[in-house]
Amino acid sequence: MSEERRIRILYTVGAAAMSAFCLLPVAYMVLVAASRRPDVFQAGAEVRLTAGHFLEVLGTESLHFPEYVVNGIAVSGLSAILAVALAAPAAYAVTRLELPGRMSFLFLVLAVSMFPPVSLVSYLFRMMSALGWINTYAALVLPYTAWVLPLSLWILASHFSRIPRDLDRAALLDGCGRLAALRKVMVPVAAPGILSTAILAFIFAFNEFLFALLLTTGRNARTIPVGIALFEGLHGEIPWGMIMAAATLAVVPVVLLVLVFQRGIVAGLTRGAVRE
Amino acid sequence: MRKDHDLRDLLKGYAFLAPVCALLLAFVFLPVAGTLLDSLHRDVSFLPRRFIGLGNYRSMGSDPGFWQSLRFTGLFTLVSVPLELALGLAFALLLEHPTSARGFLRAGVLLPWAIPAAVSGRIFELIYNVQYGLANAIVTGIGLSEGPVHWLGTSAGAFLALVAADAWKTTPFVAILLLAGLSAIPEDLYRQAEVDRAGPLERFFRVTLPLLRPVLVVALLFRTIDSLRVFDLVFVLTGGGPGGSTTSLSMYGYRFFVGGDFGYGSAVSVVLFLLAFLFSLLYLRASRFGREIE
Amino acid sequence: MVSKDSRSPHPRGATWNLRRRIDIESFRGIQAIRPFHLGETDTSRIVELHRRQKETEVRIRVLLLVAVLLLGATRDAQPAGLRPPVKTLTFAVGGAPSELDYWEELLREFTARTGIRVELLRQPTDTSLRRQTLSIALLARERDPDVFLMDVAWLAQFAASGWLAPLDPYLGGDGFSGRDAFFPRILELVDTWRGRTVALPLYVDGGILYYRTDLLRKYGIPGPPATWEQLKEAALKVQRGERRDRPGFYGFVWQGAQYEGLVCDFLEFAGADGGVETVGGQVIVDTPRNRKALRFMRDLIHEYGISPPNTYTEMKEEEARAFFQEGNALFERNWPYAWSLHQSPGSRVKGVTGAAPLPAFEPGRGTACLGGWHVGLSRHGDAAAEGARLIGFLTSLEVQKKLALRLGWNSGRKDVYDDPEVAERLPYHKELREAIERARPRPVVPYYSQLSEILQRRLNAALAGKSSPGEALAAAQREIRDVLSRYD
Repeated sequence: MSEERRIRILYTVGAAAMSAFCLLPVAYMVLVAASRRPDVFQAGAEVRLTAGHFLEVLGTESLHFPEYVVNGIAVSGLSAILAVALAAPAAYAVTRLELPGRMSFLFLVLAVSMFPPVSLVSYLFRMMSALGWINTYAALVLPYTAWVLPLSLWILASHFSRIPRDLDRAALLDGCGRLAALRKVMVPVAAPGILSTAILAFIFAFNEFLFALLLTTGRNARTIPVGIALFEGLHGEIPWGMIMAAATLAVVPVVLLVLVFQRGIVAGLTRGAVRE
Repeated sequence: MRKDHDLRDLLKGYAFLAPVCALLLAFVFLPVAGTLLDSLHRDVSFLPRRFIGLGNYRSMGSDPGFWQSLRFTGLFTLVSVPLELALGLAFALLLEHPTSARGFLRAGVLLPWAIPAAVSGRIFELIYNVQYGLANAIVTGIGLSEGPVHWLGTSAGAFLALVAADAWKTTPFVAILLLAGLSAIPEDLYRQAEVDRAGPLERFFRVTLPLLRPVLVVALLFRTIDSLRVFDLVFVLTGGGPGGSTTSLSMYGYRFFVGGDFGYGSAVSVVLFLLAFLFSLLYLRASRFGREIE
Repeated sequence: MVSKDSRSPHPRGATWNLRRRIDIESFRGIQAIRPFHLGETDTSRIVELHRRQKETEVRIRVLLLVAVLLLGATRDAQPAGLRPPVKTLTFAVGGAPSELDYWEELLREFTARTGIRVELLRQPTDTSLRRQTLSIALLARERDPDVFLMDVAWLAQFAASGWLAPLDPYLGGDGFSGRDAFFPRILELVDTWRGRTVALPLYVDGGILYYRTDLLRKYGIPGPPATWEQLKEAALKVQRGERRDRPGFYGFVWQGAQYEGLVCDFLEFAGADGGVETVGGQVIVDTPRNRKALRFMRDLIHEYGISPPNTYTEMKEEEARAFFQEGNALFERNWPYAWSLHQSPGSRVKGVTGAAPLPAFEPGRGTACLGGWHVGLSRHGDAAAEGARLIGFLTSLEVQKKLALRLGWNSGRKDVYDDPEVAERLPYHKELREAIERARPRPVVPYYSQLSEILQRRLNAALAGKSSPGEALAAAQREIRDVLSRYD
């Protein structure tokens, strides 16, 4: 067998194994969500499909599931937009203006992404209690924005630094102010980068757990990860079918984002973490 | 004339940075400082707050629960990080190979990363369920064990379950990182190696790995810091059990917070913070962050 | 040539070249992340397409932004300052899902009777999660929930943290029973803090000994054991006999895993002369009686072999109950809830199960560990008067009797035990009342969770054979002293 064929076979087997590894638990989740009973793999079990779990999860008011989804999307969306809106001017300043101290600024910002959330959460809890913001959007959006700023800043800075300088120099020569140059030159050209930054920020905020666990107490502001973690269901023993149905519904937003923007996400992640 | 312009630019620049600074100061640095301050106090829900200096840290020294969580966190990091690096490298190599299915593969590989840890925790909770779980179905199906294994009921089983779940969740991230590194390796180096009659394995060890080293180091440190602060998965999958044997440092601190003991919990989280900080210093040195912006 | 699109703004006086360059760069960038390629090569077409794309994108983004902001604005989730105060009575309760359904029924009845609307906040089933979510809300001084249930083990911490409003003003008032309706010992021991009544029992529990009446008869044993020694003898005898047909038979199942239940079992083994003493700020655990009890517990597993080897790894309430219910044990230590399950259709021990008070080292010196759930009123809630009425309703004779008949809950009220209907449905109630009146609570101190965590660990280590009972208790004592020094 030629080397090429061997590599081809190895590759196909490897790719198949990799896909199976990544997709199997997700497929399992969907299967159990759609099955009448959770014992789908026990010997002699028959698989009977049903949409009942999904309907129950969405329809039972006291479970508050749709509210958790809305909260999650709203909070993450707001955080993503705010993060990008704040990070873009900062990235511009860092890449285009020779500011003294910009290295220490970047250093400081990068350090933030290394902090363990548990080291912040207790004081945040007391801060938010004192402000009366526990269980409101404000309690989550502001810390989330701060949390995703480092990543956003780095990705945007990396994008901006790749844009040829003479582009915005030309704009400046024509009499644009700095802010206008940012808006009219950098943003359009880096638009895909901005979009991927926003998407990454959204995903990070959407999946965040510890802050949401401690800073929300109910359906007003509770998000999906906490909702799923505390999900107990309605009847009988642990309702795996319902939990999996809730989980399936919960991951629909992020899965859609990943499928559509896969390239941008990959680009963003690598830019944010790898410096060539 | 030029100086005025520069000064205006400078001010504008700082103004652009100001909102970011303000937000980070208010919602990151202030809380960390506050936590540090809290750790020096006895702050319990049923007693008045009092400054006790390093009292909490002294108690930690003789607290078996703290050492247990430190041991678990260390062991967990030691086991899962190399596993994820190796697996991630394999994935990255597969993802780099040019085929038409590349986009689909990448999307598939990103799925575990995109799903919230809490959700994947529940999926794995079901997978390891004694009666219904997929794991037991596989293990008894291929005859590795006669009866159902009580995965989450023993500390060893729970540990393995956590490592597996974490590997599933974070290998994609490592793979993406390494993929970027792989793409940066110039093609002609491989050509040259081929000319020198180097087989694929040799090419891997003599060209790929050495050039991948900086990225590997970055990935290693990144993952280490993430492993040290693991919380979501532990909370949902094992709840820190059985008997506290899979309680990570984050989880240990959290337990005190919800128990009303903010002082001691803060002290635990400060220790974790210092650990993470240590590794982040290493990370910053290794990644030589300054270069790109120039 | 490309027409200058007058709709899109452009830098004042910018040259056509600059704009064109921007557009091309931008388009190339977008192509890189689009899921599909357009394959255009004509630059003029590219620029035109790009312009249109950009506009749509801007529109989409603006729409998204507006939608999200609208979403945020319409949710009842503004900061408290902006939110108009809406008074609602919220009742937080967890438990098995079937119980929650019954709660909804009860609350509807309450609303029908008093006109007060109650919002039921469903909590998780797991006790620890219930405590966590409740604590977070109370630590944050949230207005919800107003009324909630607490495990008797947390009461002291909740009370000492100032989270419970005193109920004394309401006791004996309209729709609210007086103190003397309840078991005085329980009220004194756990529901009173610094002289005020801060909670009322919703149901109480005490550990009891279940036994197989048929097996005792078969082997000529006159009745349930009064001492641990008698229990051991009976168990050995029956186990020897039964093992011939049932190799997995064990004499005595109880809870030995590393969790809260282990502390309860330990206190019961130690009996009235042992246990944890909290005297004058001191907590004493290492006593000869306690050592004797722990030694006995360990010997049950390793020396006499009448308790299964997984007692200290897996045995909790449900595991012990299932074991006994399968017919594989002679004696079982468990809470009263197991009774109706043992008598349910399909149970192998239906009709041949008896219940008795737990034995002790000396006759008559046995105790039951006090368990149960109590109802409290939040000090930070916004519906105190309404909450009090709900508590009065829940602790009334009528509702307590319903809970006893429907859920098998043992009331904290004395008069429920005199009711003929209840006596008929729950025949073991008399033994239970005895047990409850003799029940001893776990240490009623605010730092009980820390105490319990230490005890759980050390006791379990002794059961596992990792340390001797003496060492374990001495080490526990030392650790407790260290922890206490933080709380003086």
